[in-house]
Amino acid sequence: MLMSVDNISKSYHAFPNPPAKVLHDVSIDIAAGEAIGLVGESGSGKSTIAKCMLALIKPEVGAISYDGIDVVHAKGEDLRRFRREVQMVFQDPYGSLNPRMTVQELIGEGLLIHKLEATAAARRARVAEMMEMVGLNPNDMDRYTRSFSGGQRQRIAIARALVIRPRILVCDEPVAALDVSVQAQVINLLQDMQKKLNLAIVFVAHDLAVVRHLCERIVVLHKGRVVEQGTREEIFGNPRQEYTQSLLAAVPVPDPVVGRARRAARHLEPAN
Amino acid sequence: MPDQSTLTPVRPPLVTVDKLTVDMPLGRSGASVRIVDGVDFIVGVGERVALVGESGSGKSLTARALMRLDRLAKLSGRVDFDGTDLLKLSDRDMGKLRGSSIAMVFQDPMSFLDPLMTIGDQVAETLRIRGIGKVEARKRALSVLDELGVDRAAERLDSYPHEFSGGMRQRVVLAMALVGEPRLLIADEPTTALDVRVQDQVLDLLDDVSTRRGLAVLFITHDLGVVAGFAERVMVMYSGRIVEDGEVGSVFARPSHPYTQGLIKAVPRIDQDLATLYAIPGAPPPPLARPSGCPFHPRCDQRFDRCDRELPALLPIGRTRVACHLHDGKGD
Amino acid sequence: MTAPAIVQPATARRKEGFTPFEAFVFALVVALLAIAIVGPFFAPDSVYNSDIANSLMPPSAANWFGTDDQGRDVFWRLIVGAQTTLLSAFLVVTLYSLIGVTIATVAAAGPRWLDEGLMRITDIGLALPGMIVALGFAAAMGASLRSAVIAMAITGWPITARMLRGIMRQTMEQPFVAGAQVLGVSKWRLMTKHVLPNSLDVLIVKWAGDIGTTVLVLASLSFIGVGAQPPSAEWGATIAAARGYVSTAWWTVVAPGAAVAITSIAFGLLGDIIQVRRDPSLRGN
Repeated sequence: MLMSVDNISKSYHAFPNPPAKVLHDVSIDIAAGEAIGLVGESGSGKSTIAKCMLALIKPEVGAISYDGIDVVHAKGEDLRRFRREVQMVFQDPYGSLNPRMTVQELIGEGLLIHKLEATAAARRARVAEMMEMVGLNPNDMDRYTRSFSGGQRQRIAIARALVIRPRILVCDEPVAALDVSVQAQVINLLQDMQKKLNLAIVFVAHDLAVVRHLCERIVVLHKGRVVEQGTREEIFGNPRQEYTQSLLAAVPVPDPVVGRARRAARHLEPAN
Repeated sequence: MPDQSTLTPVRPPLVTVDKLTVDMPLGRSGASVRIVDGVDFIVGVGERVALVGESGSGKSLTARALMRLDRLAKLSGRVDFDGTDLLKLSDRDMGKLRGSSIAMVFQDPMSFLDPLMTIGDQVAETLRIRGIGKVEARKRALSVLDELGVDRAAERLDSYPHEFSGGMRQRVVLAMALVGEPRLLIADEPTTALDVRVQDQVLDLLDDVSTRRGLAVLFITHDLGVVAGFAERVMVMYSGRIVEDGEVGSVFARPSHPYTQGLIKAVPRIDQDLATLYAIPGAPPPPLARPSGCPFHPRCDQRFDRCDRELPALLPIGRTRVACHLHDGKGD
Repeated sequence: MTAPAIVQPATARRKEGFTPFEAFVFALVVALLAIAIVGPFFAPDSVYNSDIANSLMPPSAANWFGTDDQGRDVFWRLIVGAQTTLLSAFLVVTLYSLIGVTIATVAAAGPRWLDEGLMRITDIGLALPGMIVALGFAAAMGASLRSAVIAMAITGWPITARMLRGIMRQTMEQPFVAGAQVLGVSKWRLMTKHVLPNSLDVLIVKWAGDIGTTVLVLASLSFIGVGAQPPSAEWGATIAAARGYVSTAWWTVVAPGAAVAITSIAFGLLGDIIQVRRDPSLRGN
């Protein structure tokens, strides 16, 4: 396993409210090169797990290990390697890029701080190469992100994360804020990058259709617990838990025939 | 008035929108930008129509224009509701119409609820404003909350909004909209902020209410899945115009406009595997930088020489209307 | 799905022109700065020399604002004094802004105990009135413009520190800051490259307004004899020196008084205008 999340629990303390436990004994394994989806409704704890995986917050109980590194207590060289090899892309394409940095500074920052390219010229070359790879025009590298659309910003965020060649990319709702016609571009890009770079992708999302499309393995979360995990076929073809079934049944299908049939079927059942 | 360019609906028309434009001012400079650019459509009595579009398409402003919600917006054209032109009404008369004949619900129920007022008082308020007595208003508020599946409604009339979950709040907002027995409900992304299971319940609820009451619903959304399950007719907006308008079954089965085709192919599905998604290149244009000719032509994979010069009109083919040079009968 | 639409009006706003009032305030500030910077080079020698024969002459074509008790031209002394006054005010505000920014940054970046400690010190600083400290300094180091500047610099920073620390904490909640942490940037780079540049906007507003207040306070200190001393042309000192002649030669007091008032109001308005232009929700008032 490339990363193992082992029985972690986490509470949030917001005085004067009593501590709220948001994760209960969550365990998830991530293999190199696989795309794994964390799905759940709001309050399921999926974003909290992502933050723990990125060492942005620490679980109170349990361990997270990445390729021999104890993530929760990592320091010095271990932490530096972890930071280089585990990257993320956020939901909000507007708040996730520093507005006072040019595209080149944003994408090149990882190369600079991890000293992966010695000279500014070499960094620019790598940035240009990466921009082309994610479908951006390298001529735009000295512009600020203000005038870029949501989809382009998300490409910049992906380039920024991938230019230092991480082995895991954690994506927290990366397409939820994008227009429908642009979502597909970013989903295809992520899929493409995963194959090209043998990248493990942890895809945190509420949209089950997107997760089904992108992920080979799925973890279903509810109120901070893992309800069910399995392969795409297992979860979507034969969900065992009632919660998973109800979640799948509620996803709208962009097909009036299917949609009406499902609605009619529900109306026949006695309402809860 | 609508000519052959507007389809005759199966039902008698309730709202007839004719050449509606919405201009929004840009700062204090006096300049403005046209967000909605000549839109016409009909919503029939009791009909459920979805208005679909992306950011900058003008879908929300179109809906808000029917309610005249944006004070700064400059509206032109005609919005005929049951024989009166809403754009010509005085502010006072328009105010009377809101809530009683036309009601609206929004994406974020919490911003719509007063945290310091009980649910019962808020639902009853619409009626109280119209001079209905306290006891009667409370009784009707209770019956609407009951109708919308708020359990133990009688006990919860005196609760405050923070004691309710997101889905329940959206029901309360719906109750506020429906207590005045409107004939048209405008719903602006009412389920976008909700979890899928709650969304599903709210949609079922809207479905039931609209059928039971013969209530027309204009449903604004970006989610094609929601459209397919809920609406009878769908209008697709792009860059301030309607590009396709037709019965949901036929639009999803045989979309005519390349944009509609692209949108349907771009959405991943829960019920089947797709190898790769079709990605429409580029992004929707901002209203200040609309391309010449057909606004979709830079992103269109079927464009030809006329597309960047001539703006296609919204013309009927069969029971659908399409604004595309591929279908305007002039050939290519 | 509405986020991109928000960007559009923002860019449009930036292109918008100034209102006549805004243009007037900007012109006034620029004129004041120009006078302070280049004015003294054109001043005649008589600014520094007594000419008792011509003392307390009323305004005339030769002496636009009249002459003072030493027979010096009031108009030119105001211009020479503008440099001293504005330069001192700039110095004071710049110094305490630097102290404030440093303390805010350390507090926002540091561990909880350091943050708490620095903020308690800031609270104490907020409670100390600048005037009293300046009086203390004058007693210890002798009354001079330098004492006044130092006293104001070391009493002025707490407001900046407190305000900026709050803003920096907010900026640190932004997703791009978490993104930089995930990328592995050092604490120093995180604060200087990501957090600070995105928190300083408000300080620029405050900085302009503060110049105005500082001009006024410095003049007051000089007037009560703690700041600049005669024969300095600093405005407060000038008013102090002329206060005996209010009834006989009003121009010797009114001219520097008006200079202080106009300058502090102009910079105060400049601060307000920048603030309103930054925050569209305040517009139209």
